[in-house]
Amino acid sequence: MATQAPRRGAQSGRVKSDGTHEGFLRHKSFRWLKIAFILTTTATLGYLFIDVKPRPNGGSWYGYLLGIVSTLMIVWLTMLGVRKRIPSRKRWSLKGWTSAHIYLGISLAVIGTLHTGFQIDWNVHTLAYVLMMLVILSGLWGITVYAKLPRQMSLNREELTENQMLEGLRSMDRQLHDAAQPLDHRYAELVRKSLQEDPFGGGLLRRILGLYRTSKARKTLAQLSEEIAFRPGEDNPIERLDALLERKENKVRRLRKHLQYKARLEVWLYFHVPLTFALIAALSAHIVSVFFYW
Amino acid sequence: MTFTIRQISRTSDGREIVRASNVDAPSIKIGRDAASDIHLADLAVELHHATITLLADGQVRVTSETDRDFALNGRSISSADLDAAKGAELVFGSHRLTLSKDGGVIIIGVERFEAVSDSAGEKEEIGLFTLNGLLAGRRMQAWSFIATVLALFLAWPIYTYATTAGLKNRTAGFHADETWNSGPLSKAHAKLANDCQACHTEKFVAVTDNSCRACHKNDAHDHSTKVRLAQAAIPVDFGGKVKSFFKSTFNKPEGGCVDCHTEHEGEGYLQPTKQAFCTDCHSTLKERLTDTKLANASDFGTDHPQFQVTATVKVENGLRFFRRISLDAKPTENNGLIFPHDIHLAKGKGVARMAQTMRGEQGWGASLVCKDCHTPSKDGHRFQPVDMEKDCQACHSLGIGGNTLKHAEPGRVVAQIRSFYASGPAYRPASLGETARRRPGEYAAVETAQDYAIGSRIFQGQASEAIRGVFAKGGACYDCHIITPTPSRGAPVSFKQVVQPARYMKKGWFDHNAHKEETCESCHAATKSAKATDLLLPGISTCRNCHVGENGGKLKPVKDPLASSCALCHDYHLDTKAPWRSKLKQKRLDRRPKAKTTIPSRN
Repeated sequence: MATQAPRRGAQSGRVKSDGTHEGFLRHKSFRWLKIAFILTTTATLGYLFIDVKPRPNGGSWYGYLLGIVSTLMIVWLTMLGVRKRIPSRKRWSLKGWTSAHIYLGISLAVIGTLHTGFQIDWNVHTLAYVLMMLVILSGLWGITVYAKLPRQMSLNREELTENQMLEGLRSMDRQLHDAAQPLDHRYAELVRKSLQEDPFGGGLLRRILGLYRTSKARKTLAQLSEEIAFRPGEDNPIERLDALLERKENKVRRLRKHLQYKARLEVWLYFHVPLTFALIAALSAHIVSVFFYW
Repeated sequence: MTFTIRQISRTSDGREIVRASNVDAPSIKIGRDAASDIHLADLAVELHHATITLLADGQVRVTSETDRDFALNGRSISSADLDAAKGAELVFGSHRLTLSKDGGVIIIGVERFEAVSDSAGEKEEIGLFTLNGLLAGRRMQAWSFIATVLALFLAWPIYTYATTAGLKNRTAGFHADETWNSGPLSKAHAKLANDCQACHTEKFVAVTDNSCRACHKNDAHDHSTKVRLAQAAIPVDFGGKVKSFFKSTFNKPEGGCVDCHTEHEGEGYLQPTKQAFCTDCHSTLKERLTDTKLANASDFGTDHPQFQVTATVKVENGLRFFRRISLDAKPTENNGLIFPHDIHLAKGKGVARMAQTMRGEQGWGASLVCKDCHTPSKDGHRFQPVDMEKDCQACHSLGIGGNTLKHAEPGRVVAQIRSFYASGPAYRPASLGETARRRPGEYAAVETAQDYAIGSRIFQGQASEAIRGVFAKGGACYDCHIITPTPSRGAPVSFKQVVQPARYMKKGWFDHNAHKEETCESCHAATKSAKATDLLLPGISTCRNCHVGENGGKLKPVKDPLASSCALCHDYHLDTKAPWRSKLKQKRLDRRPKAKTTIPSRN
């Protein structure tokens, strides 16, 4: 997905000549924002000035028109999932498609609301409307994280790939394992605990909020290392262990931060996508019911 | 040679690599210490964790050297004697040791079965950095949502429809198709809320008039024939054509009740019909329906024809012939009566004096007023016909010799007069009494005596003369009735039939109840009418003193305007009852200050 982080010269192929990257929000100088604005303004003016009798209603001709437009928009917006999986063609870049998806999606909130004629009740019709609004709200949430997090994520990663992060961690573990071999049981046990710690562990909340405790092994070793620091002698294996553990801690911290960003970048989709399908089901029921009891 | 130690490791594709070494000693050490015979690079293992000793009987003894145990065949113990020939499995930390014996040599297989660290273990690298596994999969969630929503809100309601279709009355309680209800029904239909099929009888077919007529049997008539309606309708524009296309495509008949009476628009009263609903056609009706007798009308306040009333043209054989005539043409009402309103309502003249005289008896005022003779109908909309015996006879007595001539039955009148003459001379009223003394102030008695004296003088002759007299000019009947003589002896005269229509405006509705604030004279110019043929109905100009168009349209200044749409007087369904009016509007009217009533009912 597009990020707004400025790239270095090495990636000049993806950078405009003036050096600023044009993200999915600014795509083609806000082309889709303008289109969405025209669409919502037209729909709203129509709603205000077309005198539908006896009152604005989803079942009036204007209501049906808004309903048809909304349905087509929903179907098209859903197609982003399909488009994403098809290798890009020249026209309709994925970025342009995403930009349109966002702005048309937001304008759907207005058009869909006008379609209801503000008649809200406990029924399948309102269910479809509420699901639509939830999908749009989760989408807005997605836009805010995509606008903000990639830059922070990129800073945290320092150009490491995920595989490199994982390999770095494995390397630290191997070194720790080797370094602890000659030590007596007390230290070995501490290192073993560190090795067995799952850096990917923890539930959804822990990952999103980054709520990890400093490992006990790390704390104890720090304490021991302090005790030993005043003893004479060189190449103390415990000091080496301490240094290794500290490096591992840094790597784990970075990895977990990366996981946190990724989780926050991703979790909204767990609402956006399933709710979209719930919406399509409710929308189908809404349309069938309207014509069934016509 | 006592022990053979086989260190087993595996390549990335799972192939075994075995490095064997022999130890010739009675016992061997197991530990993390590099100097151990069996060196286990495993942080869960002590530097010197255990010792394996060969016993005299060929068995081996495994003893833990620390307080940490090891596992033998899955059980944690600190020491064990084993027969290596039978085989055994020992576990130290992440290492597995398998014991066997081959020709007196104890063979110990050593293999690591767990990775050095968690991260070094085999991980599903695709998706490792994603939320996979932390949340229910999106696909799974999506399918379960789809299934739930479709089951609850599509399949279940359709099942309800299928199982209750055609039932006359549904059972009380919840029915799944209520989840399709697009909004609350109006008050009038609220009780149908859980019975969708009361109106939606056919699937995928719009509500038809039949559904409405199932209950509304007598209160909804067609406005006109479908052909005339089609002719009268304004030509459809492009939008109208599009609408018609969709309506015909989706099985929605046009011109049905539901075109105007929309439902599911929220609780409360049905909305009143807008004026535009009528004027869309009626403002230019004549252009399209050239043979219509109706004049164009677009607004009561500014563009509405003068009222046309059903004036009585003649009455024959008991039938009233009438014609709709504009009030502008000053129609006359040939109702068969002779009656001057002006004389009766005049203040300070003969009638007034008589009224004053009879004040005590009849409760009249200083002069006669309308209500002294006219009685409102039970519903208060109109007036009952004036009844001679009830409303006139208090003054216009038909008394004869202590009896009263039977009104409206000339045959009996003739018989009554004949019988009177057959019984002797003029009957002396009992009230005069043979011995009665005249007392001051007994005016009635004086009058009776005078009447008697006159009567005795008049009816001295033959009964036939009296009969001729009563029907002739100057006689009791001739004052009010148009009488022509006939050759018949039993019924020597013919009376012109009298009619008193209760309603003159058949196409419009007028309710006297709603006008209690007004005096009769403000609309009916009775005090100036000398003839019964005067049609004392007010024209549209009088109505426009208060009533303006729906949107306030008016031709002259109106002090307290009352917005009046077509439906105030006209009923779309063309029945004889009052036009339907929204109770919503009625409630607003009820809040207006109470009227100074001028049409009280008679006692």
